[in-house]
Amino acid sequence: MKNGCRICNVRQRLRRVDWGVLLLTALMAAAAGAAELPPLGHSMNPVSPPLPAPTFSLPDMDGTEHELGSFRGKVVMLNFWATWCPPCRREMPSMQRLYDKYKDRGLVVVAVNQWEDPDLVFQFSGSLSLAPEFPILFDRESRIAELYAVKGLPTTYLLDKEGNIRFQAIGGREFDHPDVEALIESLL
Amino acid sequence: MFTRRPGSQRFLLPTLLLAMIGAVSASADGSDVVPTRDPATGLMSWKYEGDGLGIELLQVPPDFIRASYSARDLPAAVSEAVATRCVFGTIVRNISDRQLQYRVADWRYTAADGIEKPIKTKSEWLEEWHGMGVRFSWSILADDSVFAVGDWIQGFTTMPEPHGSVVNLRVVWSIEGVRYEKWLPNLQCAPAPAAG
Repeated sequence: MKNGCRICNVRQRLRRVDWGVLLLTALMAAAAGAAELPPLGHSMNPVSPPLPAPTFSLPDMDGTEHELGSFRGKVVMLNFWATWCPPCRREMPSMQRLYDKYKDRGLVVVAVNQWEDPDLVFQFSGSLSLAPEFPILFDRESRIAELYAVKGLPTTYLLDKEGNIRFQAIGGREFDHPDVEALIESLL
Repeated sequence: MFTRRPGSQRFLLPTLLLAMIGAVSASADGSDVVPTRDPATGLMSWKYEGDGLGIELLQVPPDFIRASYSARDLPAAVSEAVATRCVFGTIVRNISDRQLQYRVADWRYTAADGIEKPIKTKSEWLEEWHGMGVRFSWSILADDSVFAVGDWIQGFTTMPEPHGSVVNLRVVWSIEGVRYEKWLPNLQCAPAPAAG
């Protein structure tokens, strides 16, 4: 990620923020608050047999393209998400904590945003108590999500070093739980 | 335990039958469906947990739908088609320790006329939207899902009923081939926006 570039562009980005979407996010949070949100679990379930992860290339917040294949040799946590999705927002800090713990040992976290504008996501990232430092990529028409047959957000896949999908989770999780860490350890 | 105390066996079957009748009664009258009104928003929600399924339905006001779709630059025809319906935000969870499946095509609802009707599926919505050149696909509850332990999903469930009306929703799911169903009675659609 090009943090320097993000910071230098902050004023320009804030001017272009879609305030309507921010209002929507607030409304969604209020609506979601009316119901007791399910607790975030910590299970990731095996994909058996493992499936080769479809390859793709998507831009990050600064327009730099990232190819999934470039992460070969690393364990990849691939997360499909959006800012308006309450469990996506809830689980993101736990992904950052997991990333902090394992990035030096070969874990890559890739968050693939659905349908949203980089300016909005930039604003959202800054509002988190623990801002994501891993790549956030933009799947503006959900074509990659379709490729992965994602049915709901968030959905997360854990890929081994050979690029195979080994575990998956549908719905929000606390990813820095020992159960998930044990899976990471088994793949590193 | 019962082999040591044969007298208990005489009561085992009646006790089990009573427990089963009790379970059916609770299921039939919907007393196990918990309604909640959020004091901040005034929105109602209903929650049920049983037979490995957790489901929660939340009123979604039409203005919220319009704002939500408008923020994504969706055509007014798309947002109006949904906003004029009775819409519930729906959270479906696998709370069992096995694989759980559901298909919205198996679900039914009744309204004032008492006739069982199907729920319009996400695929049916998307077919309409694709015809209008709209690719957005994240708001409606997925047609079907196979949930491993701990999985859950959320999305809109829509019914062509007036705002403020009362509906009953039958959800159907299966766990390892065993089919379950549950009527969630007296769900109130979000009220129409205040005039003016």
